[in-house]
Amino acid sequence: MTLLERLLELGESGERAVLFTVLDGDAAGAKLLALESGEAIGDASPELAAHTVELLRRGRNRLLELDGSRVFCEVYGPPPRLAVYGAVDTAESLCRAARLLGWTTIVADARAKFATAERIPSADELIIEWPEEAFARIAPDHATAVVVLTHDDKFDVPALKAALASEAFYIGALGSRRNQERRRGRLLEAGIEEDALARIAGPCGLDIGADSNEETAVSILAEALAARAGREGGSLRESKQRIHLEVD
Amino acid sequence: MKEILPELDRWRQAGERVVVATVVATRRSAPRPVGSSLAVSESGKLCGSVSGGCVEGDVYEHAREVLESGEPKLVSYGISDDEAWAVGLPCGGEIDVFVERLP
Repeated sequence: MTLLERLLELGESGERAVLFTVLDGDAAGAKLLALESGEAIGDASPELAAHTVELLRRGRNRLLELDGSRVFCEVYGPPPRLAVYGAVDTAESLCRAARLLGWTTIVADARAKFATAERIPSADELIIEWPEEAFARIAPDHATAVVVLTHDDKFDVPALKAALASEAFYIGALGSRRNQERRRGRLLEAGIEEDALARIAGPCGLDIGADSNEETAVSILAEALAARAGREGGSLRESKQRIHLEVD
Repeated sequence: MKEILPELDRWRQAGERVVVATVVATRRSAPRPVGSSLAVSESGKLCGSVSGGCVEGDVYEHAREVLESGEPKLVSYGISDDEAWAVGLPCGGEIDVFVERLP
């Protein structure tokens, strides 16, 4: 199988991989396709594969200088996932907006009459389970954003607890400031450490004066994108950083 | 190269040789992120892009050369070049483009 054929297969299988291309020196043009599973094909040095895991975690293409030659690293893998707990109206708006970003979407709720394809047509997957079971199935990883929307502690608390036990790159919780305080107390009672609670964006979203469900969805996804890129999420006008993501 | 893979596959299946030009580094502002690719087929078909249309014409010329020679090359574009006013990036950034013939 050629490298190109294997690359095309990745799109179907959803496997994560890095394609290394040597840019200069005697080996210019040599390539190595290294999969997360450890499989590697190509004519470039197999030692390049040692960088695969770290590159996949960052999720961005980048140029590396290795042993005196420049190597371009292109990251392959499925798009980020949005996992929403709470099949409320905002869940549909969130899924619709996330699809625009090319993400895949999952909505879970214990209440079967809420989590229906009629109510949430933009969810790629609907899960009718209590939070523990739902998150065991979703298995959030470093490419998953979790948003908890129920406003009900009996769902939100275990959902947030499960999200905090994962590597999710963003954990957002809807709710008023008063609700956040109360939920915070419940999470501490449930044995969550103070430090871990700082990972929760609550109330979630950027301060753009969002009012409708759609506006709220944009505000939350913008915050999730900023978190993934390690940015503050303010106006570019005020920012001292590069407009596009640093690639060092 | 990820975005243009399906198109590359079609060209390859039709028996065409293919050159791919990929943005591998950007400095200051740049119109397309690293990893963006422009592909050129033997019969002159194009897909993808490496800038907002500012340097594609010149990249195409390099691609034709690489198609014949098989030798990859690294080309830089930016306003610091003398040629910049002919082939450059009006946004003030610089990009490095790696041009290679697919094996």
